[in-house]
Amino acid sequence: MKPSVLIVDDSLTVRMDLKEAFEAAGFETHTSATVAAARRAGQEKNFDLVILDVLLPDGDGLGLLQELKAAPPTAHVPVLLLSSEHEVRDRVRGLKTGADDYVGKPYDTAQIVARAREFVHRGRPRERPLIVVIDDSPTFAAELRAALETAGYDAAVGATGEEGLRLAADLRPAALLVDQMLPGLDGVEVIRRVRADAALRRTPCVLLTASEARVDELRALEAGADMFAQKNAGAAVALAKLTALLRTAREGTGATAPASLLAPKRILAVDDSATFLGELCDQLRGEGYDVVAARSGAEAIELLGSQPVDGILLDLLMPEMSVQEACRRIKAEPAWRDIPLIILTALDESAAMIEGINAGADDYIAKSADFEILKARLRAQLRRRQFEDENREIREQLHYREMEAVEMQALRELSETRAALIADLEEKNAALARTNEELHRAKTAADTANQELESFSYSVSHDLRAPLRAIDGFSQMLLKQCGAQLDDKSRHYFDRVREGTQRMGQLIDDMLALARVTRTELRFERIDLTALARAIVAELRAGAPEREAEIAIADGLTAHGDRGLLRILLENLLGNAWKFTVKAAAARIEFARHAAALDGGVAFVVRDNGAGFDMQYAGKLFGVFQRLHAAEEFPGTGIGLATVARVVRRHRGRVWAESAPDRGAAFYFTLATPTFPP
Amino acid sequence: MKSKIILLVEDNPDDRELTLNAFQQSGIANDVILARDGAEALDYLFAEGRHAGRDLAVMPAVTLLDLKLPKVDGLEVLRRVRADARTCLLPVVILTSSKEEQDMIQSYSRGANSYIRKPVDFEKFNVAIRQLGLYWLVINEPPPSPPAA
Repeated sequence: MKPSVLIVDDSLTVRMDLKEAFEAAGFETHTSATVAAARRAGQEKNFDLVILDVLLPDGDGLGLLQELKAAPPTAHVPVLLLSSEHEVRDRVRGLKTGADDYVGKPYDTAQIVARAREFVHRGRPRERPLIVVIDDSPTFAAELRAALETAGYDAAVGATGEEGLRLAADLRPAALLVDQMLPGLDGVEVIRRVRADAALRRTPCVLLTASEARVDELRALEAGADMFAQKNAGAAVALAKLTALLRTAREGTGATAPASLLAPKRILAVDDSATFLGELCDQLRGEGYDVVAARSGAEAIELLGSQPVDGILLDLLMPEMSVQEACRRIKAEPAWRDIPLIILTALDESAAMIEGINAGADDYIAKSADFEILKARLRAQLRRRQFEDENREIREQLHYREMEAVEMQALRELSETRAALIADLEEKNAALARTNEELHRAKTAADTANQELESFSYSVSHDLRAPLRAIDGFSQMLLKQCGAQLDDKSRHYFDRVREGTQRMGQLIDDMLALARVTRTELRFERIDLTALARAIVAELRAGAPEREAEIAIADGLTAHGDRGLLRILLENLLGNAWKFTVKAAAARIEFARHAAALDGGVAFVVRDNGAGFDMQYAGKLFGVFQRLHAAEEFPGTGIGLATVARVVRRHRGRVWAESAPDRGAAFYFTLATPTFPP
Repeated sequence: MKSKIILLVEDNPDDRELTLNAFQQSGIANDVILARDGAEALDYLFAEGRHAGRDLAVMPAVTLLDLKLPKVDGLEVLRRVRADARTCLLPVVILTSSKEEQDMIQSYSRGANSYIRKPVDFEKFNVAIRQLGLYWLVINEPPPSPPAA
C-alpha cells in the first residue's frame, strides 16, 4: 500500500516539483493550491502526510494546521511546514502550533522526501506488524506469507537481496525474514547491510537456511542475524522464532530510534551578523544540511526548545548573552548536552574562546578561516556524535547478544548433560550386559569344572584303591610265604604296612565323601531325622554288638533338607559320639532339638559324655585333616567334621561345638527352614 | 559233571593275581577264563576273535566283570551280554573298586545280578571271593543252556 501525501502550496512550480519527487519515491500524491481545496481533499481521503505551505492565498497555513491537529481523525497525521520565512520566530510559532517539522525555502527536494518518508513510517500506526520476507523461492515465500498473515502479521516479499533492502528501507518493517540463498546478495550480506544502516539497524532479522552446519549459524549470528531458523523445519518454526524475537525486541532497551543516515542533519547557526549568518547558512545548505538561523543566544535557546538539532554553531561575540552563558545554558539541558557545539571565533579573541570551551563547547573554528575547514570540522563533530550514538547502540546490542549467548550456552550445556547422561546410561547398560556375559561364562566354566571334578572323583575312586589292594594283598601273601622265617619285628613291620594301606583306603573314601557333598545336587524334602538317626545307631550297634551305650534319640525330629547329605551328617556326628565314648564307663549319647533357634532356623544337638576336646583348639575342629586327638587313642582321618560343616553350609545353617576334656562334647547345628530358599 | 567255568574280566594284573590266589586259598579249583579287557570278554562269550570257533554250548557259570576296562568297558559288555539271546541269562557279578552310586544304578539297570565292591583289605577280599565262589558255583543254579541257534 502506497503512502499518500497531500501537497498544499500556492506555487505551481513547487507543487509540480514536489509531486514529481514524491511520486518517484513511491508516494501517492495530491496537490491543493488553497486552504479550501486542502480541506476538501482532507475530507475525501485520509493522508499519511501533509506538506503545508504557511502562506496561502485564502488563509493561514497555520490555521489549517491547527484544524488538522485538533480533529481526532487527522491529529496523528504528520505535517511538514514549508515556508519561505526563515525567521526564527515563525519557525518557532509553526512548530509550537503542532507542526511535526519545518522546512525552509529554498528547500532541498530530496531532503523533504526523505524527511517525509521518516514521518510516514514513524507516524503511521500499523494495526498489524509488517514483516519483510526476502526469499527467491516463490513457493516458500507464499508459505511464509500465508503463515504470517494467519498469525496476524502483514507480509511484503522481495525476491532478491537488493529488492529486500529497498523494501526494508521504505517500509521499515517490524522484522526481516531473510533466506540465506539468494541470487546476487546472499542473506548474510543483506543482514550485514541492514546492520550497517542506522535506521534499519535495530530491525530484528531471522536468517532462514537449509543448512544444518553450525559454522553457518555462527556466520549468520556474527553477521548480525538475531536468529537462525531451518527452512526444512517449516514455516511454523520460523514463525515461532520470529514471534519470540519480536517479543524480546519490544521488551528491549527502549532506546529511541536514531535518525537514519538518510535524514538530513539540522544545524543551528547563531550569529548576530546577518551577512555572515546568511553566508554560513548558504554554505551549509549547499552541503546538504538543514540550517536554522538564530541572531542571538536567547533566540537559539528558544529554538532549541521547540525543535531538536544535530549541531550548533555559535558565534563568540553576541549581544545580550555572552557565549559562556549560552554554552553553559545549552550544556545544562540534558536533552541538548550531547549536541556538538562549535564556537565561531575571530583570531584575536582566544581568551574568550578558551573560556567558551571551558564552559562546555566541543570545538572552535576561526571565522576567517576557509569555510571548507569549518564544514570539515562540523562534519567531524557530527560524525563523532554519530559514533557515540552508535557506540551506545553497539554496547546495548552486545549486552543483548551476550544474554542470548549465555542462554544458548545454558541450553547447550543442558542438552550436552542430557546427552552425556544418556551415553552414561548406555555405557552402564553395556557394562551390565558384559557382566551378564561374564557371569554366564563363569557359570559355564564352573559347570565344566564340576563335570571334570566328577570324572576325576570317579577315576580316583577306582584307580587309587586298586594299588592299595595290591600292596595289602601281596604283603599278606608275602607274610604267609615266609612267615615262619620272620621274627616279631619283621612281622610288626608288615602290620604297619597293612595299617598304612587301610588308612589310605579310609582317607580316600572320606575324601570322596567330602567331594560328593559339595558336588551333589540337593534335593530338598521333609526328612524324619529321628528315624534316620535310629537307623544309623542300629548300624553302629551292629558293628560293635558288645558295646553297651545309652543312646537317646528325641522323637519327632524333622528337617527340610537333602536326605543323602543329612545321612552323612548324622553318620559323622553319631559315629564320632560312638567312637569317642568307647572308653567311657557309662557311655551316653543324645540327639535332640536344641532350645535356642537362631535366625529362624531349626537347631539340633548331638551330645556325648566321651573324651571331649580342648576348647582352645575349637577353631581347628572343622578343618580338613585336622585332628585334636592322637591316632593311637582314637582312629580318624580328620575329615568327618569337615564333611559335617560342608553339609551344614549347603543347608544354609551353622555348626558349632562345646566341650571340655573328658567331659564330653556337644555339637550343635542349624538347618534351613522350608521358607528359606535353598 | 563238567566243571563250572568262571569268566574273570579284569584288566589289572595285581587284582587278577590276587583274585586267583583267593580262589586257590578258598579251594575253588574250577577253570578260570581270563579276559584282559571288554573286547576279549565279548570275543569269548560270542566265540569271536581269538576265541573264534569255541563251543558256544559251554558258557561260564558266573562272569566276574570289572567296570573300568580298556577297549570296551564293563557296562557295555553287560549290555551286549543281556542283548544277545545266547548270553542274556548268564549270571554276571560286577566286581569293582567303585562305590559310586551311578555305577551301581547303571549296573543293576542293565541287568547285573550282583554288585561287589572290592575291599582293600586282603583278608576281607579273600572272604568275599570265597563267599562269592561258594554262592555262585555251589549254591546258585546256573541257567540252562539256551537251545542251539
